Amino acid sequence: MKSLTNINARTVLDAVNAAQEAINAGQIIAYSGGGTDLLQQIKDGTADVDVVINLRNIEGADQIIAVNNEISIGGLITLDQLSTHSSLAGGMAVLAQAAASVGTPQIRNVATLAGNVTQRPWCWYYRNGFNCFKAGGDRCFSVNGENQQHALFGGGPSFIVHPSDVAPALVALNARFIITGPTGEKSLAATEFFVLPSENPRRENSLADVELLTGVRIPAAKENQVSTYYKVMDRAAWTHAEVSVAVVLELEGNRVQLASVVLGGVAPIPWRVAAVESFLQGKPLTGAVAREAGEIAVANAQPLSKNGHKVPMTSAAVERALLDLVSA
Amino acid sequence: MTEASNTAVEPLNTIGHDTPRVDAVERVTGEAKYSRDVKLPGMLYGRVLRSPHPHARILSIDISEASRLPGVRAIITHENAPIVWGAGSISGGRQYNDPAKAATAHRRYIFNNPVRFVGDSVAAVAATDRHIAEEALTLIRVQYEELPFVLEPEAALADGAPAIWPEGNLCPDFRNNFEPMVSDIGDIDAGFAEADQVFEERYETGFIHNAQMEPRCALASWEGGKLTLYTPSQGISNCRHDTARDLGLEDHQVRIVCHYMGGGFGNKNQNQDADLVAATLSKHAAAPVMLEFSRREDWLGVHGRWPTVQYYKVGVKNDGTVTAIQMRGYSGMGPYRKNSGGIGGMDAYACPNRQRTIYPVYTNRTTSGNFRAPSEPHGFYGIESMMDDIAHQLGIDPVEFTLKNMRRPTEDRPYTNYSLDECIALGAEQFDWQSRRQVTPGSDDGPIKRGAGFSFMMFRAGVGTSSAIIRVDANAHYTLFVGVTDIGPGAKTTMGMIAAEALAVPMSQLEVVSGDTDRCPYSVGESGSRTTIMTGYAVVEAAKDLIQQIAAKGMPSGDGILIASATPRPTTDGKIRQCFAAHFTEVEVDTRIGSTRVVKYVAVHESGRIINPQTARDQIRGAVIQGIGQALHENLLYDPASGQPLTTGYYRARHLTHLDIPDIEVSFIEVDDGYGPFGAKTAGESGIILAPAAVANAIFNATGKRMTSLPITRDKILGAMA
Repeated sequence: MKSLTNINARTVLDAVNAAQEAINAGQIIAYSGGGTDLLQQIKDGTADVDVVINLRNIEGADQIIAVNNEISIGGLITLDQLSTHSSLAGGMAVLAQAAASVGTPQIRNVATLAGNVTQRPWCWYYRNGFNCFKAGGDRCFSVNGENQQHALFGGGPSFIVHPSDVAPALVALNARFIITGPTGEKSLAATEFFVLPSENPRRENSLADVELLTGVRIPAAKENQVSTYYKVMDRAAWTHAEVSVAVVLELEGNRVQLASVVLGGVAPIPWRVAAVESFLQGKPLTGAVAREAGEIAVANAQPLSKNGHKVPMTSAAVERALLDLVSA
Repeated sequence: MTEASNTAVEPLNTIGHDTPRVDAVERVTGEAKYSRDVKLPGMLYGRVLRSPHPHARILSIDISEASRLPGVRAIITHENAPIVWGAGSISGGRQYNDPAKAATAHRRYIFNNPVRFVGDSVAAVAATDRHIAEEALTLIRVQYEELPFVLEPEAALADGAPAIWPEGNLCPDFRNNFEPMVSDIGDIDAGFAEADQVFEERYETGFIHNAQMEPRCALASWEGGKLTLYTPSQGISNCRHDTARDLGLEDHQVRIVCHYMGGGFGNKNQNQDADLVAATLSKHAAAPVMLEFSRREDWLGVHGRWPTVQYYKVGVKNDGTVTAIQMRGYSGMGPYRKNSGGIGGMDAYACPNRQRTIYPVYTNRTTSGNFRAPSEPHGFYGIESMMDDIAHQLGIDPVEFTLKNMRRPTEDRPYTNYSLDECIALGAEQFDWQSRRQVTPGSDDGPIKRGAGFSFMMFRAGVGTSSAIIRVDANAHYTLFVGVTDIGPGAKTTMGMIAAEALAVPMSQLEVVSGDTDRCPYSVGESGSRTTIMTGYAVVEAAKDLIQQIAAKGMPSGDGILIASATPRPTTDGKIRQCFAAHFTEVEVDTRIGSTRVVKYVAVHESGRIINPQTARDQIRGAVIQGIGQALHENLLYDPASGQPLTTGYYRARHLTHLDIPDIEVSFIEVDDGYGPFGAKTAGESGIILAPAAVANAIFNATGKRMTSLPITRDKILGAMA
């Protein structure tokens, strides 16, 4: 492992200033929340970092606060806190469930919301040191290689899937992403925050090097809002989603007034399936409707040579996620 | 037919009672010193530079810049350390055979040129700390000429395949003939002529890393001409002998120490290249050197279970009698041959006409070698899937089909005892086989389909030579010296229990000294499920000697001691000695997302008399867990275009987590056949042999779809259900 500098930031401003200073000096920086993945990447040599800016000593950046019909969640909240927080029930449960599905208890105890949303892809080519788009290279090795886990939607020229569980839940909840940089704070919609490889194959989001995801703001849950996260894993714990579905519905009785359906594990960004959302609107949530929604979800899937199984898997996951909300 | 009888046994004074491990507290409190915990004054740290290419010739290695890095004390490469690693490649895969190692045609060095797999060792560095050693690796300039490579065993034998060795890719046998391994019993053509129906299928299994918790390491230290190695070892005696031979020393010039270790499952027996590299670095640097492998290096740089392709052709009469079994198999050995490449299972059937041809093949994947029952789980998966399928097609209950066709003792092949019928009957009863299995496979409505599977096995439990020493002092304190190491099953405890029983003293009066070749006599090693039987038998014989001495001379007084030792050479009087087992499992296959969950598992074993039921049950459970992992998850995937491995490590290889593991019900049928220590047989490897077959057969029973390749991942299930 190469030597690096660790800076313990006390405030967000400290952190951003330290980052800017290092970048100005020609150094590569990385912000570290829980550090669970970053340190492993540094050891593996897949992250080339000169300066780690440790955010764990920043106080107050891990709170959930209700303000003006919104809830604001600090980026440094741990996934464990997120998964058990009393304010994340019913209409917000999707977020707690997504957080609870990440990794292992040991990881969730230190991993943060912001870190989970901004973690790098887990594509085995990228993680094994191939010089792919994500590593700064100029090709995606999965296209003609082992692409069992790769994208069904939105791929090209890179076919990674976004690794976060928390991100699809946030997108389904219409979260805004709070970004802090040298010039202050801004708030981005999901469509502005997450970036498809066709736009920038090197990165998964629009954060500049110096910028930091400091939190999210989510519209408060409506009274008739229900939500759930359904994750297909290839073992019972400690894997990223093969397919996941974040669903937020506003229901009147059994009838869907408004639907928000976002897929994880199948696209380079959290993948909103608008066709399913509009299909569901106004319909009673029956078994037949859920099944049809599952089929609609994959109508535009573009499987690669070895990931065709993810198509029926996605259909089933959408159907089951919806039915979970009927029985709930 | 000779009926070997089973003798029911009762617990003895110590043996047969659940006994906690004697070193459990040290282990769970962190007091136990594992090899990596040992620190010596002036100790340096070693790191290995590995090939990034699957096959390449090294044109030059420039170590000048790395050598100048402050803190670097030694750098070794194939140029200044041309040391043969005898156990790293052996003609015929004959592991414990000195003449075969000496005659091996394709010798493996600790650093090879050409390099033949991603991870093959190129150079090693010793430096004053780990970071300097790692930085030095980045400063070694290696110029490679990349060579064509081949990953799949069948492709490696095809015309025009890249030759990994000059003679081609078929591994030589122990006479250095380039021939497949053939076993031809009876008359295979007559067997097929006799058959009413003939069935054929191809089965395929993956590379499974041993995945022991403790990655490879070795601490080497020289005092004069004597080498001490602190190294995780499944056989300190074998490791000493191998290391001495490879370094041109006498056995007594090498001391192997291993007091605690974090598992091995077969990849820490004999010596490993880490031992030789650490010893050589230490010699060059004139200081102790601790060489450590990362998890990824351990995955690539040691070994795992060989991947196989198996073509079966089986002839059967309409009444279910098997008349012919033919198998042609290909085992991917990586570019060096550490083991046979065997594919077992066929010989568990009585069918008189059996022909087996196995091609052990060089490939440019990481090396294959010992893993718990090295030749068995993949072979039993193949043959028992085959037989399960035939039973289904003939409309016969697979258990009935097995009872009709399994091998039994005969006049000319007597067993010390035979209990397979009892294992199967007890397992079927405990599991409730008749009500759990789908008489029509796939008939469960689903989408989550339930089904049940069964498999059986017999496995060698032969006796053999090992040694033990027991000392008693005037305080009636007994010390047992045995050259065992505890790779997990609790050998230290088991040896103590056997000694306590044989001496008729409580465990509290007895201390077990193990894991050090300078303090302990020869022991056979923790491989081949032999420690309890062989070293345990030596303990019994040494205890008998000591009891006789005490009877003759009285207990020692003052500073006096009595010492007894034994190196028995037991036999089974020409009889076959085996352990037996039957496994039954129920699975739920989610046919919409392709996942399989093992929901019930019943394992019935006959391993003779059980010394410590508590650890024996856990040993079977651990093995079953590995077997389920092989069935459902594990495989080392390679990128076909680049020859790079993609799925090293616990995250990528998808081992079972605690949440994936079912309650595994283990029962023993206990027998004393009159051989071994108090009638004990093998247990260590037996549990893994059946799990892949049982799980695969249960998936067939649930889905009606035969899964012909391992691991049975979701893409395969969904593909079959589509």
